[in-house]
Amino acid sequence: MKFLRYLLSLGLVALAVLAGWPFRSLIHPVNLVMLFLAVVVASAVFCGRGPAILASFISVFAFDYFFVDPRFSFSVADAEYLITFLGLLVVGLVVSGFASQVREQVLKLQAREAQTEALSALSRDLAVAGDMQTMLQAVVDHTSRSLASQAVVLTSEDNHLVVRLSSPGFTLSESEMETARLVFSSKEAHASAQQKTRFLPLTNPHSVVGVLGVKPVGKRSGFDTSQEKLFESFANLTGLAIERTLLAEQTNRLHMLSETEKLQTTLLNSISHDLRTPLVSIRGVLDSLLEVEQGSEDSPRLDPAARLDMLQNAREETIHLNRLVENLLDMTRLESGALKMHTEPSDIQDIIGSALAAMEESLRPRSVQVEIEPDLPLVEVDFVLVEQVIINLLDNALKYSSAGTPVEVFACRDECGIAVEVFDRGKGIPTDQLESVFSKFYRLKHSELTQGIGLGLSICKGIVEAHGGRIWAENRLGGGTKISFILPLRREKDGS
Amino acid sequence: MTEQKVTILLVDDEKAIRRFLRTSLQGHGYEVVEAVTGQEALIAATEHRFDAIILDLGLPDMDGTEVTRRLREWSQTPIIILSVRSHENDKIAALDAGADDYLTKPFGAGELMARLRVSLRHAGHEDEEPVFTTGDLKVDLAHRQVWVGGVEIDLTPTEYDLLHMLVQHAGKVITHSQFLREVWGGAYEEESHLLRVNISNLRRKIEPDPNRPVYILTEPGVGYRLKA
Repeated sequence: MKFLRYLLSLGLVALAVLAGWPFRSLIHPVNLVMLFLAVVVASAVFCGRGPAILASFISVFAFDYFFVDPRFSFSVADAEYLITFLGLLVVGLVVSGFASQVREQVLKLQAREAQTEALSALSRDLAVAGDMQTMLQAVVDHTSRSLASQAVVLTSEDNHLVVRLSSPGFTLSESEMETARLVFSSKEAHASAQQKTRFLPLTNPHSVVGVLGVKPVGKRSGFDTSQEKLFESFANLTGLAIERTLLAEQTNRLHMLSETEKLQTTLLNSISHDLRTPLVSIRGVLDSLLEVEQGSEDSPRLDPAARLDMLQNAREETIHLNRLVENLLDMTRLESGALKMHTEPSDIQDIIGSALAAMEESLRPRSVQVEIEPDLPLVEVDFVLVEQVIINLLDNALKYSSAGTPVEVFACRDECGIAVEVFDRGKGIPTDQLESVFSKFYRLKHSELTQGIGLGLSICKGIVEAHGGRIWAENRLGGGTKISFILPLRREKDGS
Repeated sequence: MTEQKVTILLVDDEKAIRRFLRTSLQGHGYEVVEAVTGQEALIAATEHRFDAIILDLGLPDMDGTEVTRRLREWSQTPIIILSVRSHENDKIAALDAGADDYLTKPFGAGELMARLRVSLRHAGHEDEEPVFTTGDLKVDLAHRQVWVGGVEIDLTPTEYDLLHMLVQHAGKVITHSQFLREVWGGAYEEESHLLRVNISNLRRKIEPDPNRPVYILTEPGVGYRLKA
């Protein structure tokens, strides 16, 4: 590049010679000096200081050689020309000095503008980056582009400096890692003579959060001052951005933690409430009967009917308790993925019958209507789990409708498989909560019923969906809820 | 000479459950010997002759199924398994290893006594009555005839074979694979749809309401049981 610029200034001098040649006899040679001055100024503006100085000297010689008598020799006939030579040289040197200064300033301004542009582009991208990964990606992209280098960002994790992101294909050698660690611990830039890669600490007002490394691409061995500055600015921006992202992530985590804690507290409260309620009844019954047995003076007198009633109450409560424990276990299994399905061709009528038998005692005081379409095909399901779905739905139907109202169970063929529907004549579910009743620990808002911890339906949903089916709730005309689920028939095997 | 009491070996590692079972069993006139581990149970069984064994599947030292298998190598004493829901495969394994019946925890003392009586009766090799009756259902094994409420029912040979097997083991659980092996033969052990369809048909013919069966009871995930 430099060589070309010198060549260009020589070319310009040659041009002046060629331009002046036709006028050599018409114009006084002293006036032709102006041509050479113009060439020196042009060299200074376009080629810089060095080429302009060269042009000044060559101009003097060329002027002497081509235009001053005797022509084609460096000897001078008229000694006055020596003053002309000196004038041309001095003016040429001074002008070239000024012109090249202007040139350098323009170049400097252009470079500064490019830097400002690069910096503002980076800070723009950093501002919109939502998470650490996007942010670091922006840093690596901008750094490598603006500095024509490969870039790498290292951050500290558990007091170890690790590479978080780098330009594609850029890996650090062990000695480079060593330098990076040194930069990180000393919070200062360190240059290593053997390494092209340079590192700067990523700092914020409180601490060092990482290290930014760049390796110039190509034969360049280092940066000029302006690139050096840009590199520093990038490191500063990145340090602040990392700090900001870390703070945002921390706030997020704290928020989630407090949400989880809130949920756990609610859950623990309702579980312990639901576990304790049956225990209270059972304990109460047993204590009363024990007192009667022990026959102390102030023991209550219980006629056989009252005793029977108490015992039956206690027994029913153990059934509730057991159902709750089973549901908690099922939920845990569903959540942890430990639920293993043992599917086999099953008769939905058999499953419904089995669920009704399991609920027999609770259902006895109610009218239960069962309608099952004859000759339904077998479904490939886990018998025990689908039975649990129906038990939970029946349990809900009983819980959320008043004594004396009927419960109905229908099963029929559906275009997607086999549909099972459980109906009650309870209060129904507010339209805006028809979907949320299937979420875990969800209880109807403004419900006077406190029984249940909102596990039943979410377990149903988990089981039905594990079978590739779906479950939903609707309100019935004339009041009450209808919960339906569809189990897909066994998919035909490929090729058959 | 006093009448020889029926002796039961009770194997469970939970003290509270042993206490409850011991009281209930003694209340029904049974003699009870307790064991806490599988090893203890196996030793006790060689030292004593028991009329029945009540065995928890979840023992600390060895699997209840393993205890069943070892006992069955030399003893035909009825074994009733205690297990929890959602361990259907363990129950099936224990039943296939030779256990006679099972109960799912929590269970009532009444249920246990009923299972025990059935198992003791089957073990007693009492001469089978040629005619079996439960509720409105009557099965004449000698003449292969079935009545419900006095009306004779027409069954296919497979349906009759299923019912015959249920009657032979009346009150006891029969696993799916036991049915398939005995009625269809060993090659059909995986063809459980055959069993489902035939049980469904059989129920339609003999149950007053096939939607809520009262004679052929389903043991979810395990098998079927005829009401005794």
